[in-house]
Amino acid sequence: MLDTIGVSDMRELFADIPASFHHEPGSLNLPDALSEAAIVRKFTQASDSNRHAGNSSYFLGGGTYHHFIPAVVDYIISRGEFLTAYTPYQPEIAQGTLQVLFEFQTMVARLLGMDISNASMYDAATSVAEAALMARRAKRRERVVMAGSVNPRYRAVTHNYLSHLGGETIVVENNGFSTDVEKVCAAVDEATACIIIQYPDFYGSVYDLAEIRRKCDATGALMVVAFSDATAFALIKSPGECGADIVVGSGQALGIPMGFGGPHLGLFTCTQKLLRQMPGRVCGMTADVNGRRGFVLTLSTREQHIRREKATSNICSNQGLMCTAAATHMSLMGDAGLKTVAEHSAAALQMLVSNLPAHVKAADGARYNETVLSFKDRNHRDDFLARAGAEQIFAGIPLEKLDGKAEPRHLLVATTEMTEAEDVSRYLELLETAQ
Amino acid sequence: MTVSSYSGGHYSGTSGLMHEEPLLFEHVHEEATSISLPGLTGPLSDELHAFVRTESANIPGLSEPETVRHFVRLSQWNHGIETGFYPLGSCTMKYNPRVNEQLVRLPGLAHIHPDQPEESVQGLLALLFELQNWLGEITGLPYVTLQPAAGAHGEWAGLMMIRAALESRGEAHRNKVLIPDSAHGTNPASAALCGMQTVELKSLANGRIDLEELKAHLDGDVAALMLTNPNTTGMFESDIAKICELVHQAGGFVYGDGANLNALVGIARPGDMGIDCLHINVHKTFSTPHGGGGPGGGPVVVNESLAPYLPTPRIIRQGDLYRIIQSDESSIGPVLGSIGQVGVLLRAAAYIAAFGKDHLHRIAEDAVLNANYILARLKEAYHVPFEGICKHECLLTDGIQNKHGIKTLDIAKRLIDLGFHPMTVYFPLVVHGAMLIEPTESESRETIDAFCDAMLEIAIACEEGDTEALYVAPLLPIRSRLDETAAARNPVLVWPSESKDE
Repeated sequence: MLDTIGVSDMRELFADIPASFHHEPGSLNLPDALSEAAIVRKFTQASDSNRHAGNSSYFLGGGTYHHFIPAVVDYIISRGEFLTAYTPYQPEIAQGTLQVLFEFQTMVARLLGMDISNASMYDAATSVAEAALMARRAKRRERVVMAGSVNPRYRAVTHNYLSHLGGETIVVENNGFSTDVEKVCAAVDEATACIIIQYPDFYGSVYDLAEIRRKCDATGALMVVAFSDATAFALIKSPGECGADIVVGSGQALGIPMGFGGPHLGLFTCTQKLLRQMPGRVCGMTADVNGRRGFVLTLSTREQHIRREKATSNICSNQGLMCTAAATHMSLMGDAGLKTVAEHSAAALQMLVSNLPAHVKAADGARYNETVLSFKDRNHRDDFLARAGAEQIFAGIPLEKLDGKAEPRHLLVATTEMTEAEDVSRYLELLETAQ
Repeated sequence: MTVSSYSGGHYSGTSGLMHEEPLLFEHVHEEATSISLPGLTGPLSDELHAFVRTESANIPGLSEPETVRHFVRLSQWNHGIETGFYPLGSCTMKYNPRVNEQLVRLPGLAHIHPDQPEESVQGLLALLFELQNWLGEITGLPYVTLQPAAGAHGEWAGLMMIRAALESRGEAHRNKVLIPDSAHGTNPASAALCGMQTVELKSLANGRIDLEELKAHLDGDVAALMLTNPNTTGMFESDIAKICELVHQAGGFVYGDGANLNALVGIARPGDMGIDCLHINVHKTFSTPHGGGGPGGGPVVVNESLAPYLPTPRIIRQGDLYRIIQSDESSIGPVLGSIGQVGVLLRAAAYIAAFGKDHLHRIAEDAVLNANYILARLKEAYHVPFEGICKHECLLTDGIQNKHGIKTLDIAKRLIDLGFHPMTVYFPLVVHGAMLIEPTESESRETIDAFCDAMLEIAIACEEGDTEALYVAPLLPIRSRLDETAAARNPVLVWPSESKDE
């Protein structure tokens, strides 16, 4: 091959890199190569040393949920034709990816009660941030209002995205563990591009969005609704049904492993009216030269490879394969399965909160699968956590870990269809003895 | 139908049987799910009853066998690296090692919650911490964030760090980012996302950065130069040291777009050349699968001038323990809702572990060898806009074929009928009719020769005026050329939800 190229030595192919930058092979401070078997051993040892859902029970939420993943989901996303394909820029040989994306977009839009969905964003936090940017563009207003009951990580990332773009970003301080709708509405005015709320909120509260919708109608602000566990909407009214203009959140609950935080899946949906301002890739239906139905990425003039600095976003790679996972999951479940998942998730929480000992309080108000449990003081809580931990139960997230303003005596607790009756019973028993 | 053979290979447009497959919504739906679900049944709270939805979402459910058949059939319509050559310039479509798929599915790596106690995930944190060190060593930029979810995300995070550094120097007024006209669209888009003004630098006739043009634009308002090296035409910017020196002298930072790192891995390091901040595309250089568009991973590596501003959360080591710091004073804060695309990062770690210090350089060597070989075989038949040795990708144009009425698009579509995924077309934008070919190091000579034979066959067909096959291509895949104009004019992005019985 060197002959064909017309050089005598591999070095000549790197002569354009100044010699002073060349490193001798083997000179970097990296370990020796490992055989495949050795790599498997190394990673297996790492895995075995961790506590995981195979050997522990999980009452953790806060944006990531331990739901059941049917074997078929992992099988489909392991198929090389899905796994090793690129972004479908040559649509004739990517109709598999493209039809899956179209099905994904459709099912996500239906679940959230919205007109359209894009083909994914990185995660919930960045989706919320991009929703704020989109609202500012669409309304030509710069003021963004966020409820304090939105997941703090979503808020922190959103602040970051907005930080150099002018305008003010207000957080409506929250008291207690549900959304103060009146206070939120009071903060929305005619200079507001959008109000961002979470439903169910970060503390798990399910509440009426009608007032917020009315305030948005009165002021022209867009109603952006964020969410964490998509399965909620198989049971409770979708944000779309409640009048949201933009609905964004996490699709991790739809067949995607917890994975210590990634790769997850950002869902991004909006009303038809707002289509042209939506960021991210989107798949559309069309026909080929023979009149046969097919699918292509479309409306690319919103995107960075065409519009460059005027694009709706800089996003290029999205979460691709995780859309395939979610689409497979949803089609295995269907309405009936998703509803069962949601009912079981909610029933587990209800069993827990309706049997609490007197000294532990659950937050008030309607909840789906997440709530806040409050203890007398930090010692009581931490003692309970330690004893639960000793039995391989991850009993909740200390609230102050995520919500810096919280007193250190609360736990953010979530349940799913993976929470069995015995898990709840044992949890309650351990709570009993935490006097 | 079997189409013409070349180099003795045969291929056809069908595999077993290539089925038409309707949409999920066009199938008959099951009333009940076929999945047996765990969990407990019980009453809902009275308060929740008020919020229960009255109409179902209309998500179609198929039985398990039907779901499998649906998605398996769809998968058969796709070309993937596992099916064939995928020479997309700038994408680095190298083989994705299957062992990595096994590793990330180990339960202690997959089924762990980001907020479970640190002590319970030390094994994972150790692997990620090690990866940080390796990426730092490979790039010569020792301070690392694993958080950004993709290259573009890394670009934005890197520019945010640069802004933070400038602010702490009292130079917040610096808001210009210089970007070569050959840059990928994400570069100016990321700069705009930071509220910075982009200034385009015209490249030289040979595709490289013009030092005079650069000097002319370097003033007290410049925050950074964003550059890709090798650049997007596949050429190494040999003046890189001088370029970085000029930018630093003017008080700016040099941001490196790491998309083309495959040409340098194990041989040369961006940090040594003067780059201050670089994002890495792990889905390119470090073999993590492209998944039909993602998930990617865009770790950012920096030198000490930017280290204080790295995003949090971040993994550190305290004695024998790995900890996650959730925040620190000078950090730009979180760029993602979690610590990063952990499953993707683990694949990158396994990949690097397999090469180790003695073999890593072979990635760049073989990638550059393969690209130069393709260039050598095709440079008579195709127009080569820039002279000289290329790096991991080579750039051709349709200049010669234009004379016969053939465009890059036609060549690309004809390649499909000859059994290959086309190269990247019409990028970089500054070269008319661009065809950017990146074979990667994981292709055999046999495959590369077959590709070159096919390209030569196309060139000869153009010469001889035998172009009908190019205009009608592609004929063999499940669909022929699709009407992208109609798709954009009348966007249909969801299947209409008429009735439950579809």
